[in-house]
Amino acid sequence: MVSPLYIIAVALVAAFLLGLLKEERRGLAYSVTLVTLALMSWISANWLWLFISTDAVPVEIYTAGTAPPFAINLRMGLVEAALTLLINLTGLISGLAMKDSLLRQGRRAMAVWLVAVMALSGIVLTRDMFNMFVFFELAVIATAGLVLISEHIRNDGLTLAAGFKYMITSQFISTFLLIGIIFAYHATGTLNIDGMANTSLVLLNGGSIAFFLMFIAIIAELKPFPANGWALDIYESADPAFSALFSAATGAAALYAADKLLLIGGAEWLPIATGIGIVTFVAANLLALPQTHDRRLLGYSSIAQTGLILVVLGQRDILGEHTLFIAGGLLLSHAVAKAGLFWLSGLVAGRELNAWAALRSHPLLVFAFVTFICMLTGLPPFPGFYAKWELIHLLAGEGRIALLGLILFSALIEAGYLFRWFGYVMKRESPAEPVDTAPHKTAAVLVAVIAAWGLSFLWGELAGALFGRGNILLALPLLFALSFLLLDPLPAWLKNTLAIAGMVAWFYLTYTEYDPLRMIFAAIFLIGGALTLLASYHAHGKRIGFYPSAMLMYAGLAMLIRATSTFDFFVAWELLTVGSYFLILRGKHSEPHALSYILFSLGGAFMILAGFALAAQGAPHFSLASLQELAQPLAPWVFLLLAIGFMTKTAAIGLHIWLPGAHAEAETDVSPMVSGILLKAGLYGLIMLLLTMGRQNFYGVDLVNAMLWIGAITALIGNLLAIFQEDAKRLLAYSSIGQMGYAMFGLALMNHLGWLMALMFVINHYVYKSMLFLAVGGVAKRTGTREMYRMGGLITLMPLSFIATLIGIIAVSGVPPLSGFGGRWIFYNAILTSEARLPMIILFLAGPIAFLYLFRLIYTIFLGQLKDEFRRVKEAPFWIILPQMIYVAILLVVAVVPGLVLRHVDAYLDQFFPNGGLSWDGMIITSDFGYWNPIAIMIIVGVIFMTLFSWLLFVNRRAQKVKQFNIVFSAERPFRPETTHFAWNFFAPYRKALGFLTLPLVTLFWSTMTDFLHTAGDLTRRFYTGNGQTYAYHLLGFVIIVYLFGMGIQP
Amino acid sequence: MTFDWMKIPYALLTLFIVFNFGLLLTAFIAKIGARAGRRHGIPIWQNYIDLIKNYGQRSSITHGVMFYLGPVFRLTGGVGLLLFVPTIYGSEMFSNLSFAGDLILALYFVFFGTLGMALGAGESGHPHAAIGITRGLAQVTAAELPLALAVFAVALQYQTLSVTEIVAAQQGGMMNWTMFTNPLAVAAAMLAFLGSMMRPPFDVVLAPQEIPIGPPTEYHSAYLALMQTNRAIFPIAKIVIYMNLFFGGATSWPEFAVKVFLIYLFSAFVGVCFPRFRVEQSIRWFLIWAVPLGVLSILWV
Repeated sequence: MVSPLYIIAVALVAAFLLGLLKEERRGLAYSVTLVTLALMSWISANWLWLFISTDAVPVEIYTAGTAPPFAINLRMGLVEAALTLLINLTGLISGLAMKDSLLRQGRRAMAVWLVAVMALSGIVLTRDMFNMFVFFELAVIATAGLVLISEHIRNDGLTLAAGFKYMITSQFISTFLLIGIIFAYHATGTLNIDGMANTSLVLLNGGSIAFFLMFIAIIAELKPFPANGWALDIYESADPAFSALFSAATGAAALYAADKLLLIGGAEWLPIATGIGIVTFVAANLLALPQTHDRRLLGYSSIAQTGLILVVLGQRDILGEHTLFIAGGLLLSHAVAKAGLFWLSGLVAGRELNAWAALRSHPLLVFAFVTFICMLTGLPPFPGFYAKWELIHLLAGEGRIALLGLILFSALIEAGYLFRWFGYVMKRESPAEPVDTAPHKTAAVLVAVIAAWGLSFLWGELAGALFGRGNILLALPLLFALSFLLLDPLPAWLKNTLAIAGMVAWFYLTYTEYDPLRMIFAAIFLIGGALTLLASYHAHGKRIGFYPSAMLMYAGLAMLIRATSTFDFFVAWELLTVGSYFLILRGKHSEPHALSYILFSLGGAFMILAGFALAAQGAPHFSLASLQELAQPLAPWVFLLLAIGFMTKTAAIGLHIWLPGAHAEAETDVSPMVSGILLKAGLYGLIMLLLTMGRQNFYGVDLVNAMLWIGAITALIGNLLAIFQEDAKRLLAYSSIGQMGYAMFGLALMNHLGWLMALMFVINHYVYKSMLFLAVGGVAKRTGTREMYRMGGLITLMPLSFIATLIGIIAVSGVPPLSGFGGRWIFYNAILTSEARLPMIILFLAGPIAFLYLFRLIYTIFLGQLKDEFRRVKEAPFWIILPQMIYVAILLVVAVVPGLVLRHVDAYLDQFFPNGGLSWDGMIITSDFGYWNPIAIMIIVGVIFMTLFSWLLFVNRRAQKVKQFNIVFSAERPFRPETTHFAWNFFAPYRKALGFLTLPLVTLFWSTMTDFLHTAGDLTRRFYTGNGQTYAYHLLGFVIIVYLFGMGIQP
Repeated sequence: MTFDWMKIPYALLTLFIVFNFGLLLTAFIAKIGARAGRRHGIPIWQNYIDLIKNYGQRSSITHGVMFYLGPVFRLTGGVGLLLFVPTIYGSEMFSNLSFAGDLILALYFVFFGTLGMALGAGESGHPHAAIGITRGLAQVTAAELPLALAVFAVALQYQTLSVTEIVAAQQGGMMNWTMFTNPLAVAAAMLAFLGSMMRPPFDVVLAPQEIPIGPPTEYHSAYLALMQTNRAIFPIAKIVIYMNLFFGGATSWPEFAVKVFLIYLFSAFVGVCFPRFRVEQSIRWFLIWAVPLGVLSILWV
């Protein structure tokens, strides 16, 4: 093995040699630099491989051949190897990305670059306090130099100022560090870090002040809030490739230095580190919120991530042996993603976030961007996800709830600005200046992408080894979804066929595993999903990005129903959330709606995570079934968190504002997926929750009862809002909110028939809402509008769409003889046994309101007056019509023989609710209260209808079709179809009577919340005046505050 | 499943009786209304004349398929509603086709005709039809609520959804009627009843003055004849439900005739006394006056 000392030696020698080269041999100098960095990386990699592949113990290197305290020693262990590899590789790749810049600056800049990278490696390797100081000094000087020579990038003096401010600050830091080291040496008689730790420095006389000074200096290097203005100016003004190094490598080195120092400080200083970390994490994310400058935003995000990792280091007392796994996962996620984003920023010409829309023309770069932000947000399968899962679980296990809450809250803000940014990339107007696609710069980004996925795999394996979890990346549905990334260049029809085949095959492979309850969901998710995909055949071209997103969602859904442990469940939940977010974002005007969707969903997901973590109480494995063993006082909290999380997905009132926009603005074939199918995931979660946990009492409130109320109010408000929509898809979206309210109400009844009704709603809602969304989508496609009052009279031009809509609305409304009636009948029977009578009244009101919006939907689109511009409109495309016709068939079959499905579920429910089931006697379905004979109803209604119809045909056989203006119009001729089609503000009197119920109070609440966060961020931002003096005050203030807190708690 | 085919002629007999009774009764009620307004009123057989006239009219146009089917839906709704509910208690002959479903079926089937009719009228392209429908639908959401609550209270009270069993529970003297055992529910239901009978103060749907005759505006000849037939059957079918749920049902045709007449008269009585509400007024009126009664009836059971 090559001695790690060579990492430092090689760099020093090369830097020295560079000085000997002639100024004009820049190409050669550059090659020397890269080779050196490669060599350094190779050495680190070698060591890393050694530690991974064998159980080698860390190696001590005595520089002067003598053991400390008489000489400096370095240590190479697993962590050091990984970190130096990270640093050297980042140096190498950043050097590659900075090629133009380095070639212009010449050999001096390259030498400084080498020294910077070497110094950072030194900080990681050294075990000597003074040596660390030296390396810090080297790093600082090199950094300042590199910042200063980036001047050519902006030429506005800002870079110069930033470099200068950095010098001032770092002198402060160095002074503290040096004085601290002097005191510490005085107290302990050693400069060795382990020596200081062994002599318990902080217990010695004067030891704690010595430690404080060293500690504050190292912490200040981490750019904690608020003492970090200088760092942000660097991020903003320096070369992005340098910022990548500054963020990923400097951050990593400083964090490891802090970690070493905490070894000396012992347990008393851990809370201080946690405190600084969490304040930084929250504040930096808040500050990032109002940023519009990409690199400054990345700077804040870097600082926030560093803060989070500091929290992890500060929590090592409870994280114990897992600290490394967690901190490593977070650190590597941060480093790779942030370096990747900085490199990516080097490709984009503009500095506004909007300017990144230029990436859109390069799918590969968009994929890179997605990878990085998902990695930063801690979504599966990236290492940050595993780390966050363990961290939250361990925190919850020890009852550190406040910290847990702050971490999740702040992570949500982070997701907010990152996904908002992604929305800009996908949806904003593309700037004139194209992306710089120089191979060496693009290569850097791609290396980061590969590293990201490689690390994901590695962390999956590690999680497997440490906790016995499966590697997420090896889950077959996910692999299938990811394979569509590679298949994306194929034509859409081919991918569609593959997707359908895959989903059906997966169902075939797994269908024996499901009990009847899961079977319903499996059938809807997989078979139903495949059916919906039929509509996707209408799309032409390649449809880049559609299939990976859709399949990701379906993979999540497929994994959700098979999950037995909380971990698997949560992974599936996150996957389906992200997949559906990408799908929704594809809509033309869906940017804000997709953002609000992902924020609500992630907020809900974090609630679920917290709930699971609380439930597990630190246990590494927790099966969903064990939820039922939870007892007071924990159980109601777990229930509450999980219920809120699931209700976010079903868009319960208060959490519903994301749904209308997201469903309405999605593409034609996406709306049925996210409405008909995706919403069921929330219901599945609720079913799982209620089955395991049942009723919970939360400070005297029966939570299931509360859910009953929420369900009823959701049904009412959803329906009420639907009738006032002018946009057909929004109308359907609000109707979904109402329908989910019904289903939730049914579940919360907690009796046999209530559940049966909810499941009937699950099936029915999938069928008719998918059908209606397709029908309306097809019409919107042909007419080019979704505003219903602009349409009218389309029945003769689009007869099949009309039939689908007609059958759909009859089914939704619950009018016999179609299947919706079954739902209503079961509902009435279910509530007869329930004690909760008041919420039912709300539901009674909600029921008939559905007629209003349903009639509006069919009338204003298909009936009434046909407009002149639509006289040549054709029927919707075949592939959009086909699934609708299949749905019509399904609805008719389910209407006649509901027993086909419900019987089995009814029997299955007996084990949970033994009483009150239905009896299925031949054709008649009987409950404790009434009876229902669907076939008889169908026949009777059919016979009466046909008889009367024949009679009318007979007496009215000579009826002739007249033109549309041939109507009784007070002896006048109507002016134009537009003035004759009564459609706009259709239910005006209703608005007068009950419009007050539809005031957008919830929207107001949430927009106030986000405004408040933005304002808070914006106000805090004003502290950063850009004045070096102010920054010095910040630093001083920070030192004093930490002193008061830190030393105040000393005995 | 064995089906008793005799049920079909029996059901047709019920239909025949109710149809004629309805034609005469609506004319009679109209005459009472006219007399209250100091007019002479129509002859009692006027409905027969109208019906024959409408079937006999030669001019006949259509605006499209749904327009054509609208009256068929409407009348199917009326006939179906009548046949899904037993007319005469204790009579196998006049239990009609109630084996197909219970009270809930009847309540929801009410909307079958309404919806079909609304669609048919909608295709006529006449704005007055659409305006009438929006008014009707808006009003019915509020008007149906007290009825739904009352029905629920009754179902809770008797612990069944079967109409026959509800009637059975009320036998053995007037004091067993729901009217006396659960007066709140009956009060709520009767207020709802006013809203569904197309008489003042809730007749803004047809609004003869501003939007001549509302949804049926474009209908004529045989279409109108079908709808007139429905106008004879449908109110009776609805009243039969009220009678069965709240007023002890009927054990014979004379009892049936008297009870139906009295219930019908109630709406006519209120109708001649009060002026018309606008839609939002009637919605508020139902929510403020009728719904609380319904809520109380549920809580009281």
